[in-house]
Parts: sequence; structure tokens; C-alpha cells
Amino acid sequence: MKLFRKLVLAAAAAALPLAGASAQDIKVAYNGDISGSPSAESGQIGVMGIAAAVEDINKRGGLLGRKLVFLVRDDLGQPPKSIQNMTDLIDREQVAVVFGPTNSGNALAWKHIANQKKMPVLVSSASSTAITEPTGKRPNYLFRISMVDRDQAAALVAYAAKNPEAKKIGFFVETTGYGQAGLKDMEQIAALHGIKPTVIEKFDARDTDMTSQLSKAKAAGVDTLVVWAQAAPLGHLVRSMEKIDYMPRVLTTWAASFSGFPQVAGDKLMEWPVFLTTSSAAPSSAGQSLLERIGPKLANRSMFWAATQAYDTVLVWAAAVEQANSLDGEAVQQALENLQKPVDGLVKQYDKPFSIQDHEGLQAQDYHWSRWQGGKVVDFEDPTLAAMTAADFKK
Amino acid sequence: MSTTVLQALIGGLTMGGVYALIALGFSLTYTTTRTLNFAQGDFVSVGTFVGVGTIALIGGALAIDPASYPWAYLLAALAASLAMGAMGLPLYLAAIRPFAGKAGMSWVMSTIGFGIIMQSAALSLWGPGTRMVAAPLGDDVIRIAGAGFRSQEIMVLVLAMLLLGAIDYAMHRTSLGRSMRAVALNRDAAALMGIPVERIMALSFVVSSALAGLSGVLIAPIMSASLFMGVVIALKGFSAAIVGGLTNLRGCIFGGIMIGLAESFTGLWSAQWREIVVFVVVIAILAVFPDGLFGKKLVEKV
Amino acid sequence: MSTAPSSESIPLPPQRHGAGPAPAWRSAAGPVLVAAALAALAFSLSNDFYLRILFMCGVYYLCAAGMNVLAGYAGQKSLGQAGLYAAGAYAAALLTANLQWHPALALAAAPVVAAAVGVLIALPSLRVKGPSLALVTLAFGIVTEKLVTEWTDVFGGAQGIYGILPLTWDDEPFSLQQWVLLVIALALATHLLLAHAIKGRFGRALLSLQFDEIAASCAGIAVYRYKILAFVVAAALCGLGGALVAQQNQYFNSDFVTFHLSVFILLLVLLGGAGTLYGPLAGAVALTLTDVFLARWPFIQHFAYGGLLLFALYLMPRGITGLFERKRTPPPPAPAVAPPAAVELHRAAPGPDGPLLELRGICKHFAGVVTAQDIDLQLQANRIHALIGPNGAGKSTLINILTGVIAPSAGTVLLHGHEVTRMSAHRLAARGIARTFQNLRLFGAMSVLDNVLIGAHTHLGLGVSESQARREAMAVLAFTGLHDHAHTRAGSLPYGLQRRVELARALASRPTLLLLDEPAAGLNPQETRELGELVRRIGGLGIAVLMVEHDMSLVMEISDHIVVLDRGAVIAQGRPKDIQAHPRVIEAYLGTDAGLEEE
Repeated sequence: MKLFRKLVLAAAAAALPLAGASAQDIKVAYNGDISGSPSAESGQIGVMGIAAAVEDINKRGGLLGRKLVFLVRDDLGQPPKSIQNMTDLIDREQVAVVFGPTNSGNALAWKHIANQKKMPVLVSSASSTAITEPTGKRPNYLFRISMVDRDQAAALVAYAAKNPEAKKIGFFVETTGYGQAGLKDMEQIAALHGIKPTVIEKFDARDTDMTSQLSKAKAAGVDTLVVWAQAAPLGHLVRSMEKIDYMPRVLTTWAASFSGFPQVAGDKLMEWPVFLTTSSAAPSSAGQSLLERIGPKLANRSMFWAATQAYDTVLVWAAAVEQANSLDGEAVQQALENLQKPVDGLVKQYDKPFSIQDHEGLQAQDYHWSRWQGGKVVDFEDPTLAAMTAADFKK
Repeated sequence: MSTTVLQALIGGLTMGGVYALIALGFSLTYTTTRTLNFAQGDFVSVGTFVGVGTIALIGGALAIDPASYPWAYLLAALAASLAMGAMGLPLYLAAIRPFAGKAGMSWVMSTIGFGIIMQSAALSLWGPGTRMVAAPLGDDVIRIAGAGFRSQEIMVLVLAMLLLGAIDYAMHRTSLGRSMRAVALNRDAAALMGIPVERIMALSFVVSSALAGLSGVLIAPIMSASLFMGVVIALKGFSAAIVGGLTNLRGCIFGGIMIGLAESFTGLWSAQWREIVVFVVVIAILAVFPDGLFGKKLVEKV
Repeated sequence: MSTAPSSESIPLPPQRHGAGPAPAWRSAAGPVLVAAALAALAFSLSNDFYLRILFMCGVYYLCAAGMNVLAGYAGQKSLGQAGLYAAGAYAAALLTANLQWHPALALAAAPVVAAAVGVLIALPSLRVKGPSLALVTLAFGIVTEKLVTEWTDVFGGAQGIYGILPLTWDDEPFSLQQWVLLVIALALATHLLLAHAIKGRFGRALLSLQFDEIAASCAGIAVYRYKILAFVVAAALCGLGGALVAQQNQYFNSDFVTFHLSVFILLLVLLGGAGTLYGPLAGAVALTLTDVFLARWPFIQHFAYGGLLLFALYLMPRGITGLFERKRTPPPPAPAVAPPAAVELHRAAPGPDGPLLELRGICKHFAGVVTAQDIDLQLQANRIHALIGPNGAGKSTLINILTGVIAPSAGTVLLHGHEVTRMSAHRLAARGIARTFQNLRLFGAMSVLDNVLIGAHTHLGLGVSESQARREAMAVLAFTGLHDHAHTRAGSLPYGLQRRVELARALASRPTLLLLDEPAAGLNPQETRELGELVRRIGGLGIAVLMVEHDMSLVMEISDHIVVLDRGAVIAQGRPKDIQAHPRVIEAYLGTDAGLEEE
């Protein structure tokens, strides 16, 4: 099945530019991980979402009267490859927009290339805060409709600060770019709350035994862990917790919704952590139709958000192109920062989502507190959450 | 405090046993052919997935939940060993035989290439994701003296030690083992004694690969299985072999256990610096003992 | 077990036939033209995609050129080059980011930092060979990889270091085109420098390390020093490559540093043609292009890479350049040049009065086995000495002690009155002690002339030019009757001639003392006679000779002084006539009736 899917993707990637791709067609591309790292799942599903959006737009007559052609490049989760793909797409294929990537580290690696070449990039998955931050005086061409680490960190730390049962807090992070950036966000926000974490521990994304780090937290009396890691290492973390009989409260990011986590953690442990996601249990009606189209292909329904967010990035970009009435990078970028008409997306309605300072399409209000229950991601509620107000979300 | 030490001890011995198994594989092929399989890690990973696939097959074919039937796991281990052992033969023929005996280390490149091809094939079958393999004896935590262990760790420890003992016995007490050692010491004399040297060399690769596949299945329930997990394990097995003395089977076993324990106890201090410390120690040992701790220095007649 | 290295199986480019190295300007012209053509190509391209290909080709060429020196010439197949690449990259990154150095300075400093790190990896690698070397270098690569990943405070880990200041022109960061031009210039400079070094003494010394370290050190090559030097060169160039990538991309993180990169760099060399001048270029171009054009299909790319590793070295054992070598028809044999009329060899300068070499109380035991017991010996200049004794008497041990191959357990050795007891082999060689070996240790894959030139290594470094050295080497060859074989591969000669090449190699170092370890072994009577003649002529040059031999007729005929060894002790010494009649000598060789009695 996997091989078949790969072949289909490859054939599509190869054939689309050749067959029926005339000079009039607009090329759009995805540059991200669809096979290499634990996050690849969101890349694969994102590609499905984009493909569906491209199909829908073409059915409506295309963009500016021209058909969209979708190219896919796999960067295997490696920055050098991702950079190579970017130059290929920008200079050789001359695409109009790039969607992706999957891994934050890769986005940061070629951010300056996109900005230098004035190529609009819409991110639907990678969540590192620095991606959409402007560098210097130059305009930033990267926009995002996805969770942002800063906001996630704000929410998690706010909860930990507000909860009366959370007396000693520990930060556990992965040594990847994702984990590192998350740690920075967490530390800064904790300082805003006047909190100092009791322990800060790191582990490798490929580690399967975190008992050493956990023992130190246990010895220090930590009762709440805020964890910044990908799905599989998160799973191993909770397993290690079980092994040394230490079950503190675990607050973590949307990585817990990825399939890797329940797979590793097992039926019992997967229900332990509390985390944030963007898609609630019930999708909108437009989302429902997409779910029917690609639902069968999803091994993990809870990853549906990857598709809806990706779908929305295409819609928002198309809206900007129509507003600017051009594909020119600079014009589209300015249109994106200044969208006049609201866009009805699958996740929500986007009303002036971006501005010069803010390239984030989703805000903290769009996040949902969740946990696993009975094999599904459901909403999480508790008194502390109910008592939290906007003022608690310091960032 | 002592619970953590006990935990580290058992964990170290377990992983050490696995490293020792892989180190043995390296020693076998090196002594008989003066070459190594640099893609041993890929054999470990693919072996794991053959095991995983077998379990899934059994579960599907017999409509049972394989996790509740330990013999399914046993079959998987057998399947992995056989499959990977069988792969050892084309490895020998394609990557080793053309280069063995020639100066330069072209066989390093060719074995790595073989591994990449095998990995590519496996990736297309199973994808890059990680899988959790259910432990045959259950996933519950066993508590001994306050320290927690999973059944799989104990099982791996026991099995690894048994296997190492069995191989040691076979090499020293059976005629096949003696033949292999003879080929290792003096190929020409062995040939003159009627030992089928070529077959022995191929056999060493088959056994070495089978050991790798088996190690993969053993480890899978402890770490998650992925097609990329084997590289680091094989690297440590390789270090164990060289540190212990590539030509000394018992030295390899010692090396494996030593590296497992070193890793585990360094982890107590700082998990992040674990591998750095272990490899720095490896480099230091080799700087002082170029032939490994127990390796025989071939005294050259000048 | 035979330990003589197999000289048949190491692929090497055929030797250049002809008068000698081409004049410097002529050999530089070709590369300069190529570089100019590439620069023109760079100017004509405006598409960054293709410019990037050129850039990466250049960077990989630099890495490969350095690696070629280490793996191709010195034969150290290091699997940890990614660590050196990282050292250069992080040096450039951190110097500009943290210490606010000017980017040009940082770029210049990066290879220096990488070279220092190269010394770190060289030191533990000095004594290990084969798989152990692979492991040491591999472990080093892993340690570096882990270090830059885990030590996030300094190296930024996977998040990496942003905003690495690049070189600027007119206040704008270098465009890709300008980077390509810079890389071309650096590559050209590297090529010219390396070519010059490799074609001469440096290259030969490195090659000798690959073939036979002991013979190399006895010929005067400081083995460890050259190994470290090879590591340093490889490290500096890889570091430069890393720094260029870091600055061009203005970002670098630990994901760039992988085992895959180390294998790739080694493959660049092996595929291109190890130990050849143009191998690195061929490898860099071939692999970069393959990498880039298959990039669109990672699965196929992966597969192709594996296939390349598996089959390429089998189909092209000499790499890509090897393919072209084979096609070239062998040049016609060099016309027979008459040997120089007056064979004037460097005469050994007469030393101060007193014995040339003196041993006092030399003892040696190997874990309980005593091979030398309290040996007192004096060797005079201008004399031919012979050392005889039954097998196992300790003769080779003594020679090995005299040449610094092993150290005595006790006692002193004095050369010209100066103590040299524990001096290393190459320093003894520099002081005028040369030797041949019982088990032939020729550099079989090199030409006879090159073997002799290696012998001349020590004084080549002291202001003797390459062309003069060649003239002298040819004179030595003429002296030993090997003139006609100057350009033949040493390993292809018949055994007797090979022994003579070894002798010529020893002569080339202008020794004052020549030690011959069983020089007549394996020679037929005619060859033995010729050997005796040759040794006499050598003695006539004023060189002292100490010959270990079993062939009694040869010994008796040409020696001035004989020393007899039995079970590690000197039992007799004197003129041949005296020794022949000496009762203890006869007893040692033939045994006595007393020994046959039952107890």
C-alpha cells in the first residue's frame, strides 16, 4: 500500500508538469517531509489537503483564469535537501508559491532564501515561532495557518501557573530545533508569570529510555511536566514514567495528536497527557466533505487538522492572488498582509488574518484543549481551564 | 538511589548483551575474511521488520491477537534470523568476495551500498515510521527491589547471555567452530586440511547476519522499531568488537557488556552526554591499545 | 603467516615516463585554463539553480582534494570527515556571530580551526590500522555530531546558528555567482599547491606510508609526522568547504553533520580515483551532478547511491580516472640511455676517530625469551662486517635494535660517540644508518626510481632540488646496475633484482653505515657472486657495512671482520680466518659430541 501510494505521488509529481502543463498554468509546490521523520505524517496529510484544494479551485475555473498545477518535493526532514528543493522550485520550476515545510528546522534553514527571492510561503504545519518573525527591516514572505509554539507555550504555561495543584514545574524538551525553540518560548513566558522551572531536562528524539532524566525530576519533587517533543519520543517518555512509577501531570503540544504517540504509549498511557490541537471533534460542513474525500486514507482521524490547515493555506493564498490580480511575489505578499475580503476556510473564517507584524492565521482562541479517550481525541475540560481568562495568556 | 543503580545495571547488561551479539557477528566475519559488514545496522533494522511482519501475518492469518501468544514472537524471531541469515549470502557474494583480500577498504563502501539498497527496499515496503512491537510476555512493569523492569528487558538479558554462551561453546567445542577458527588463523593451512574455506567464509556472513536480525527482534519491544534504529546499535556493537579485540570472541562479548554498562551508567549522570562519553572512551582505549583490550597483536617479523 | 604487504593489489596510476617532472608553468597552464572556462560558465549563468550546482561541485572538490591526500595518498581511510567539515562551518559561524569577526577573517580562520581539530583526530589514529582506524575516525565523527547537537548553548544544536555573516561586495552579501567565482579561485589554488607537493617528496612519502610503514621509517620518513600532516591537510580543506557552505547559506545546524556526509566525502575520493591528481575533480563532479538531478525522486536517488557504492568500485577499481588511464596506450619504452660515464657516488665523509658504531651491554628480552645478552660490539668505518650465527641467535633482533625498529631492554648504542640508544628509526636514518630487510620490503607498486627517491628522502628536504635528486638517484641505479629498469614497477621485477632495488634504496640515503639482513637469501650462486661484488664496491665508497648472512662462502670472501652470535650472546669475533677455526663457533654450528650424550 505504501509503495503504491509512493508511486502514485511520484507519478503525479512527474506527470503533472509534463501532461497538460502548458505555459499558462500556475505551478504551486509543496516542499516538506513526507517520508523521513516522525512528523512526516502531517506532511503526507497536508499534501492531501493541498491536492484537494487545488482540485477544487481548478473545478471552479482555476485562478486568474489559469489552471493550478501541484508539484511535490520530499525533503526527508533534512535541511540541506530542503534547501536544495527550494532552489529547484524557485529557480528551475519557477513556482508561484511554496507550501510547507513539515519541520521547523527546515523552514528556518531556507527562510532567507524565500525572502531574498520574494517567494511567498504558506506554512500549515511547522510551528516554531521564529518562522514568521521578520528578520531585520526586510519584509517576511513566510505566513502561517497553524499552531504557533509561542501561543502553545503561553497556553500551557498559563494553565500550569493557574492550577493550584501544580506546585513544582519541570520542562522536558527534545534536542531538535523544535524542542529547543519551544524551550526558549517556555522559559520566556514562565518569566512573565514569575515562575522558574524546578528542572529542565533534554532528551534525544530517538531516545527510548528517559528514566534517567525522569528520576531527577522525581527526586526534585516535580508534579507537573510541560513537554515539548514529537509524538514517538513523547510516547517513550510516558512509558519511562510508568517504569519508575512516577506519574506527574503532563502538559504538551499538538504532537500528542500524531499517530506515533498512541502507537508507542499504548492504550493505557496514551490517555495521560493533556495537549492542544486546532481541530475540534466536529468539523464544519465544508470540513465534513473533505473528511469524506480523504478520510479513508487517514490512518489516524485525529490528524485531519493537517489536511484542513493545508487546504486553508491554498484558499488564503488564492484570495490574495485574486486581490493583487497578479502572481508577483511582492504583490501577493502585500495582499496577504492586507486581505480585504474574509475567506471561508475549513478551520474558521479568516478575517484580515495577517498584518505587517503578524503572519499568524490562527490564534490562541482557535486552540482546543484535548486528550485521548477511547482511541479518539476529545475535548478536555477542568475547573482550572474554566477559570482562565484572556489575561492569563501572557506572551 | 540504589534502585536507580539497579535499574541502570539491568538496563546496561541487557543492551550490553545485544551489543555483544552484534560484536560477535563482526568478529566472526573479520577473523575468517578480514572484512566486516558495515551495513550490519540495516540488517538489525530489517530483521526487526521481518519479525514485525511475521507477527502481523500470523495475527491476520489465524485471526488472533499475537500479543497474547508468545510463540508468535518466537516464530518471528526465527523468521528474522532465517531471513537475515539468508541475506548474508548475497551480501557475501556481491559485496565481500569481489574485494576480500585486496588492499584498500572497498568492501566498506560496498557493504554500505548493499545496506542502503536493502534499506530502500524495506522503506518501500514498510515506510519510515516507527512501530511498537508488543512484548510477548506482556508490557507490564515488573518491580524488583523498587526498580521497574519490563518483561522484555529481562527476557533479552537472559536470551542474550544464553546465546553468547552457546556460540562460545560452539566455537570452541564443535568441529564447525574449530573449522571456523582454523580458517581465521591460517586460511591456506585450513584449506590444505580439507576445510572448505570459501564455504566457511560465506557461513560466517550468514551467521553474522542472522545474529543481527535476531538482535533486531529482541530489541524491538524495548525501543520502537524503525528502519533507522539499527545504525546506532550496530555502531556500538562495532565499537564493542574493536575495543574487546576484533579477533577475540570472548573479548567481543566483554566489550559489548562493557559498552552497555558504560552507556547505562553515564546515562545516570547525564543522558545527553551518554554517547559522547562512550565514544570518547572508545577512542581513548584504542589510542592506548591499538588492537583492542584483548586483541592479539600480530607480532611482525621484521 | 606472511606479513609482507601485498604489492600486487593496490591500484596506482602508471608512472610518468620521461625525463622528469614537467616544468611548473606548463603543468599549471592546464588547470588555469579549466578554471577560466568554469569562471566564464559562471558568468554566463543567471539561474541560481545551476549556479548552486557549480558551487556545491566546488565545495565538494575542496573536501575531496583534502581527503585524497589522506585516504588516497596516505592510505588512511577516515570515516569521520563530517566532523572536520563541521569544525570549519561552526568556526566561521561562531566567529562572526559571537565574536563579531569580519566574515573574510572568519573564512580564513575556519581551515585553521579545522586543522587543529584534525590534529585531535590524528593523534589516536596514528597507531591503528584497518577496521580500528575506521572505528576511531567514525567515533570521532559521531562525537562531533553529538557534541554540536547536544551542547546547544555553544553550537545551537538542531536549531542552528542564524544570520551567519557572509562575505559582502558593495555592502550586499555575495551573490551565488560571486560565491562560485570564489570557490573556483580557491579550488584552483588548492589544486596547484597540492599538485606541486604531491608530485615530489611529499607525495612519495605519503604513498610509502600506505605500502610499508616500517620500510618508510627506516628510509628516513617520520611516519607519525606525515600521518598527522595528511590529517591536517584533509581537515583544513574539509573545514574550508564547511565554512563556505555556512557563509553562503547564512545558516548552519547540526543536521548538516551526519555519518552520511563522511561516507560521501570518502566516496568522492574512491569513486574519482584515489591517489590521483584529478580524481577529486572527477568524483566531485560525478557525485554532485548525480545527487542534484536525482533529487526529485528521493527513493531512486537513495537506491542509485546504494548501487553506486556497491558496484562502482568493483567495476572501476581505480575510480573514474582509472577508466581513462586504461584507455591510454602505454607509451613506448623509454629509449635506452647510456648510464652516466663516471659513476660518482657520494662518498661517505670520514668520521672522527674511534669506532663508527658502538654497542655496550645491549640486552633484549621478549617476555622471558632473551634474544640479546649483554652484547658489546664495535663497528669501524670502511670495514665490511658480517654477523653470523645459527637460526634464533638474535641476529635480526640486533639489526632491528641498531635501526631503531625495536628498543633494547638495556644497554647503549653510540654512533660516532653520540648516544642514539632509543632514537626512532627515521632519525637514525637521517644520521646515516640505512638497511635492507630479510623479508623484502619494497614499495612494489611504485617504480624503481621512486623507490630510490624515497630512500633519498631525508636529504631531499635539506635543500636538494627534485631534479638534482633524480640525477643522483639515476647515478645510484647505474652504480647498482639497475639503470635500465628505472621506470619499471618494482614489484614486477624478478626477485634478485628486487633485492638490488632495496639495496639501491638504502644507498640513496647516503649512509655511513649500511645494514644488510640476509641479502643473499633466495639468490642463486651467480647472483650471490654479483652481490658480493656490489658490497665490495659499496665498501670502497667508504661506507661501513654490517651483513647478516648464512652463506658462508660469501661471508668468508668479502668480510673484514666477523661477529658470531649464539643464543643472544657474542661467542666470537675476529678475522675470517680466525673465526673459521674457532672451536666455539664450530660447536655452535655443528654441535659437539658432548651434547649427544644421554643424561
